[in-house]
Amino acid sequence: MNNTMGFKQSRDLHPDLSDPATRTLNAANLIGRWLNTDPATKGIAEIEIEQSGEQFYVSAVGAGSHGPISWPRSSAQALANLEEEAGQRSIALAVDFDFGFMKAETYLRANKGVLVIVLFNVFLDQSGRSNYVNREFYYRRD
Amino acid sequence: MQFAQIRDLVEITPETAGPIAADFLIGTWINSNPDTTGIARMVMSEAGGKLTLQTFAIGPDDLIDWGTTNVTVVASSAASREGAGFTCVYDLGFAETRLQGMIMKGLLVLAQFQTFKDDSGRAGYFVREYYALDHGRF
Repeated sequence: MNNTMGFKQSRDLHPDLSDPATRTLNAANLIGRWLNTDPATKGIAEIEIEQSGEQFYVSAVGAGSHGPISWPRSSAQALANLEEEAGQRSIALAVDFDFGFMKAETYLRANKGVLVIVLFNVFLDQSGRSNYVNREFYYRRD
Repeated sequence: MQFAQIRDLVEITPETAGPIAADFLIGTWINSNPDTTGIARMVMSEAGGKLTLQTFAIGPDDLIDWGTTNVTVVASSAASREGAGFTCVYDLGFAETRLQGMIMKGLLVLAQFQTFKDDSGRAGYFVREYYALDHGRF
């Protein structure tokens, strides 16, 4: 533990955070194509997660009224997941999708083979819509 | 109306327009884990129609006060006016923390995204913890 490091909580000094391997631990359990477990979803129907070196990219397809809507491919930030899943430390991804009229702050993590996505949607237009949160589940379809 | 998914498409009428109710968020939220090494307590306050959050985290000797930040309240859908959670950001200088809270069965499920801005080489991290509203009745 290096006490010269800045911290605002004891967890910031967790020794694993200084391990270079932490960033890429178990990334394989996120990479690939994922389909919504709800075939009638009104949200994101499909997710694809890619990795290039240490960089991650997320593509999404939203359910549209006249067909699928491709979301912009966005770079994701890999975060060490300090929770252990099935005895193994994994990573989570944080990604923001910017549509101009709306920003979707999203995080993704795999839990027991299921991809869990939580979206915080914040409207930037003057439509009067409420910002909202939504959580959906996906299964792997490589 | 622009949308990225069908659930963004809602009709807003004068009857359904208005701010998101967030009374349920106001108060002191206590971490369910007495051994946490992260955020121990959060105090949500309202003033002038705006919500603010003050956060206290576990330090080596005592709680560390992160100060106060503004909060964006979210509902469970684009048409709802009932609050379901919040999001906010703390700039801690050496690091930035995004907090995303969701209410589930009376518990606040808090996701914390910590990214370091200093040259310590530490990996950013994600953690999820559970908080109960201190009702002061027992």
